[in-house]
Amino acid sequence: MSQQATLTVEHLSVSYDAGDTPLRAVRDVSFSIAPGEAYGLIGESGSGKTTVAFAMMNYLRGGRIEGGRILLQGQPIQDLPKSELRQIRGNKVAMVYQDPMSSLNPGIRVGEQIAEALRYHGIADRAGARARAVRLLADVNLPDPEAMVDRYPHQLSGGQQQRIVIAMALACEPDLVIMDEPTTGLDVTTEAVILDLIRELRHKINASILFISHNIAVVAKVCDRVGVLYAGELVEEGRVAEVIRRPKHPYTVGLVASMPSGTDRSQRLASIKGSLPDLTKVPQGCIFADRCLISRDVCLAERPPAIEVGPAHISRCLFPDEAQDVIQKAEARVVAPARAAGPAETVMHIDDLKLWYTRRRGLRVWHKPQPVRAVNGVTLDIEAGRTLAVVGESGSGKSTLARCVVGLVPPTGGAIEFHGERLGGRARQRGVKTRQRIQIIFQNPESALNPQRTVGEIIARPLKLYNCVEPSRIDERVAELMKAVNLPARYASRYPHQLSGGEKQRVSIARVLGTEPDLIICDEPTSALDISVQAAVLNALSDLQARHGLSYMFISHDLGVVRYISDRVAVMYLGVVVETGPTEAVFKAPHHPYTESLVAALPDLSGNGEKPEVRLQGTPPSPTARIKGCVFASRCPRKVGAICETTPPPVQNLADGRKLACHIPVDELARLQGAVPAVAVG
Amino acid sequence: MKRDAGFVLSAIFLIVIFVLVAFGSLIAPYSATEFSPSSSLLPPQFPFIFGTDEFGRDVFSRILSGASFTLLPALAAAALGVSLGTITGLVAGYLGGRGDEIIMRLMDVLLSFPALILAMLIVVMLGGNVVNVVLAIGVVFWPRSARLVRSAAMDIALSEFIDAARARGESTLYILIRELLPNLWAFIIVDFALRCSYGILLTASLSYLGIGVHPPTPAWGLMVKDAQQYIQFAPWLVFFPCLAIALISICTVLFGEYIRRQLATPTRIARA
Amino acid sequence: MQAIELILRRVVLMIVILFAVSFLTFLIVHVLPGDVANAILGDLATPDQVELVRQRMGLNEPVLLRYWHWVTAFASGDFGMSLAYNTPIAPLVFERLANSVILALISLAVAVPISVALGVLAAMYQGSIIDRIITGTVVLFFALPEYVVALMLILIFSIWLGWLPGSSLIPPGGSVLANFPAIVLPVTVVTVGMLAYLSQVTRASMVAALRANYVRTADLKGLPGYIVVVKHALRNAMLPALVEIGLNFGYTLGGLVIVETVFSYAGIGQLLMMAVQSRDIPTIQAVVIVIAAAYGIGNLIADVISIALNPKLRT
Repeated sequence: MSQQATLTVEHLSVSYDAGDTPLRAVRDVSFSIAPGEAYGLIGESGSGKTTVAFAMMNYLRGGRIEGGRILLQGQPIQDLPKSELRQIRGNKVAMVYQDPMSSLNPGIRVGEQIAEALRYHGIADRAGARARAVRLLADVNLPDPEAMVDRYPHQLSGGQQQRIVIAMALACEPDLVIMDEPTTGLDVTTEAVILDLIRELRHKINASILFISHNIAVVAKVCDRVGVLYAGELVEEGRVAEVIRRPKHPYTVGLVASMPSGTDRSQRLASIKGSLPDLTKVPQGCIFADRCLISRDVCLAERPPAIEVGPAHISRCLFPDEAQDVIQKAEARVVAPARAAGPAETVMHIDDLKLWYTRRRGLRVWHKPQPVRAVNGVTLDIEAGRTLAVVGESGSGKSTLARCVVGLVPPTGGAIEFHGERLGGRARQRGVKTRQRIQIIFQNPESALNPQRTVGEIIARPLKLYNCVEPSRIDERVAELMKAVNLPARYASRYPHQLSGGEKQRVSIARVLGTEPDLIICDEPTSALDISVQAAVLNALSDLQARHGLSYMFISHDLGVVRYISDRVAVMYLGVVVETGPTEAVFKAPHHPYTESLVAALPDLSGNGEKPEVRLQGTPPSPTARIKGCVFASRCPRKVGAICETTPPPVQNLADGRKLACHIPVDELARLQGAVPAVAVG
Repeated sequence: MKRDAGFVLSAIFLIVIFVLVAFGSLIAPYSATEFSPSSSLLPPQFPFIFGTDEFGRDVFSRILSGASFTLLPALAAAALGVSLGTITGLVAGYLGGRGDEIIMRLMDVLLSFPALILAMLIVVMLGGNVVNVVLAIGVVFWPRSARLVRSAAMDIALSEFIDAARARGESTLYILIRELLPNLWAFIIVDFALRCSYGILLTASLSYLGIGVHPPTPAWGLMVKDAQQYIQFAPWLVFFPCLAIALISICTVLFGEYIRRQLATPTRIARA
Repeated sequence: MQAIELILRRVVLMIVILFAVSFLTFLIVHVLPGDVANAILGDLATPDQVELVRQRMGLNEPVLLRYWHWVTAFASGDFGMSLAYNTPIAPLVFERLANSVILALISLAVAVPISVALGVLAAMYQGSIIDRIITGTVVLFFALPEYVVALMLILIFSIWLGWLPGSSLIPPGGSVLANFPAIVLPVTVVTVGMLAYLSQVTRASMVAALRANYVRTADLKGLPGYIVVVKHALRNAMLPALVEIGLNFGYTLGGLVIVETVFSYAGIGQLLMMAVQSRDIPTIQAVVIVIAAAYGIGNLIADVISIALNPKLRT
């Protein structure tokens, strides 16, 4: 021990008041971070990771530190009076928050928000603080820092806001920077840029980092060591690569195996059964025992000690060497459905679909509003029994496309054909049979179910509406449907708020299954769920597809999920499909420059920096902008010249069924990207 | 459910009040309207515990008999205003767009009159009687309830279960009544409770101005108005009706606040 | 640019709404069942008298035509003749309006600082005994009709203690400010009414601001407590509160009817009451519209302030 650790946490326990018994959110957590080290803390919702983060600042709203010590460079901070805490906060320990928009004061210029900390900590005077703010903005790669300091937060994009928050955290040259899910909520390409920035800054600044995340791949990218938090306990800790490659705790094993990007699509995802224990009644034994597939009686008796399972690798499992077995024992390991190759019948044909709308802003006196071109000429085919994924970032129009397909918003142009028959714009204009055969599953399980209805009523409603079964058989059919999605029959009388997120999403699935649809539109069905729950929902969708020959149109921003679930993929940007083709082919060698940067932005578990790092700069143009040329031209790293701005790109058809819209010939693109060239036809 | 003392007290008091409304004139020891010149302007004493007025009427009896003149119009007006507001707000909030714009601009016109002024205007022009008081206050409440229900309905209309219903092809009526409305009851009940207390204030104010009620009706506001000229040498004539109005309106406000807190704050457990 | 456009839109909207208000007022007065002439003369009028009044007021013409005559005259400042005073209405209304505005502005000037202070205090110590006392008192006063407060104050300060006059009769031509003691009680009553509402509004928006993530950010920057509260929380909390204050100004003008009647204060509310009692319909109409206009202008000022202060509309 030559060097004193920047941060040492010893047996930390934190409780919240929750009625009669306290909620013991964090229990006996110990770890330490060396100077300059980046330590990741991963966990799903309810794991207590954010509580740990805020405990490092001794800032717990409604909670209190019940036991243990937090030592900042050897100095305990948990009992410091307010005035001394104030000297540490922002100065020695600083924080980067999850939601930059709400973390910045909307009424104060960003430069002042950075400078004020410098002034109150006595580091600089007014002029000096401002000058330093400008320099910090340059450090976080913001363009034109001189002008940027005088902006208000709402004038910046999400990525820029997060850079401001990072600059704010670095202002006083802290010893420790806590990053609480700093990229959650940002688009994939923005996330990649912010993670690059964090890695770059690690070398520039001399701070230790405590990096909180739910995404193990993100942690792998920036951290040296990682701790895995489950239900308030640190269950495993070690070097990142080691923990990912050889996890020694069943929970970590499950977490890694449930990452879709880490799994080949012929395999099933490992989901973790059950749900978090009630932390007002913490069990005596291993905290994970009730969800663990290898637990035995001894696990329930007492809490396992931290066992050294390798160099600097500890696990709180009594059987660390058997941890990997949970994958073999995972729930109903049916082999993932084999996918038929070759052409299939087309269920739905979307032809040059357009959806423009005008934002109504009351009286517009002196300029006519430009319409938002949410979907601007999309042509797609959905094949029977297959999954077409539509992937894109926020604002790409993918959800609007989904809403159009199910008749929630009538299109302004183009057509949708279902089994060769042209569909009406609104659901009510379509025949009962058609409506019945096209169903949708929504993103947010919290809002997709009417809170005033029981699960049974919710599932029964479409059956009644479409007369799917005789009225006397409805209860029976509801029971069948619930069984099909693995929901216990007793849930029929429960209300949605009594269910977990994953269970609610199964109710949504059961509701649409009742009508025996041909095509289900899945609009980000798992993006509000934890990874281990997501795995269960994706597995359920795969099973149902195999059993009933369903076709899916799967809307997602998560490339990992898309790669796992889909046969074909369409990449959308600003209302336009820029590339489409068989999923594996597109992911292996993305040709369109936008697809290329999307795929490059995807953090994966295989490690860092192997792939060519294409990064998108800037922000997408305004959705009301009239774009003459290629929609991607303003951000394209491979832009060839004026033609990109002035002429819409031609669609190139490739031999493997891919299409892409780009001015650069595909061979040239492939050469630039260092991939095997695909053969163009026609 | 945690109950605070204020709630228990106001609930008990409200029950007492409702008994008074129902049976007030039966319980009252003396007639509320009969003159008895021999006992005029007596200060509080047994058996006239609140004293007597210039015509020798027992103030206590008049207050008992008058409870219904303040409460019933207020309740009826609240019911009327909230019903109108619920229907308008529900339709405007769900439909959105141009229909919403038109409906809400019309509501804005009604909102451009201060409450009391609009109520006065309507009662004065329609003719001063209780039915018109109810109508007037109902109209006053209409746009206020409509706004509230509309914004709640708009929030809920954004929910995915509404989209799900529309994608299923449910009729607008089904969505309004079976999907939206059940999620609005909490707001509507709270609004009704608060409108009741405003209704009491408005009715009492109108009757104090002598609008919509005529002597010798023992409406509390009217009693205060008539007693005002004797304030110097018979302050009890002013004091006791004022006390009655104050108590009842404080209790309804507390009660309304309590309901609002119960329905508006979901019990959430702090968890990081 | 965006802000100016917004403000212009509000102005246009207000003018449209004022027209609608005048039309609605006209409808209520002239179209609702219940004849204007009867309303003026009372129930004992003979048919001949009614007919005479109808002719004199032009009541036999079509409604829309009458509205047009009336609204064009009104817009040019001719509010008609008062039936009770037999004088032109316009000067009467504006003299009374001035008195009412003085009363409302003084009350506002007293009420705003106190209610902001109380609201901020209650929000900062949310749930504590301070909060409970402030909120409790405020709810209590909110629940009391103005005349109850007014009469209790008269009983205490005027009749028992004899400190202040119990009525606010201002000699004709005398200025309100020269008779300052006379308006202390009315100002107090109006202030109490405003306090209840405004402090609750301030408290609510301050509570929301204190819970906001940007306040947490400020706290975790290690800024001193008063900077966090004033610079970060209060600044953002004042925006919704200011809007409410603007709305409250109009509301207060409407509520002045009661206060002015209790204290015999020569304001527009009292004028309305006198017009109502003497069935002076042209005056009632004029007063109602002037009050609605004042209300509308209060709202407009609130909107303009909030647009001007909203950082999201700055460039």
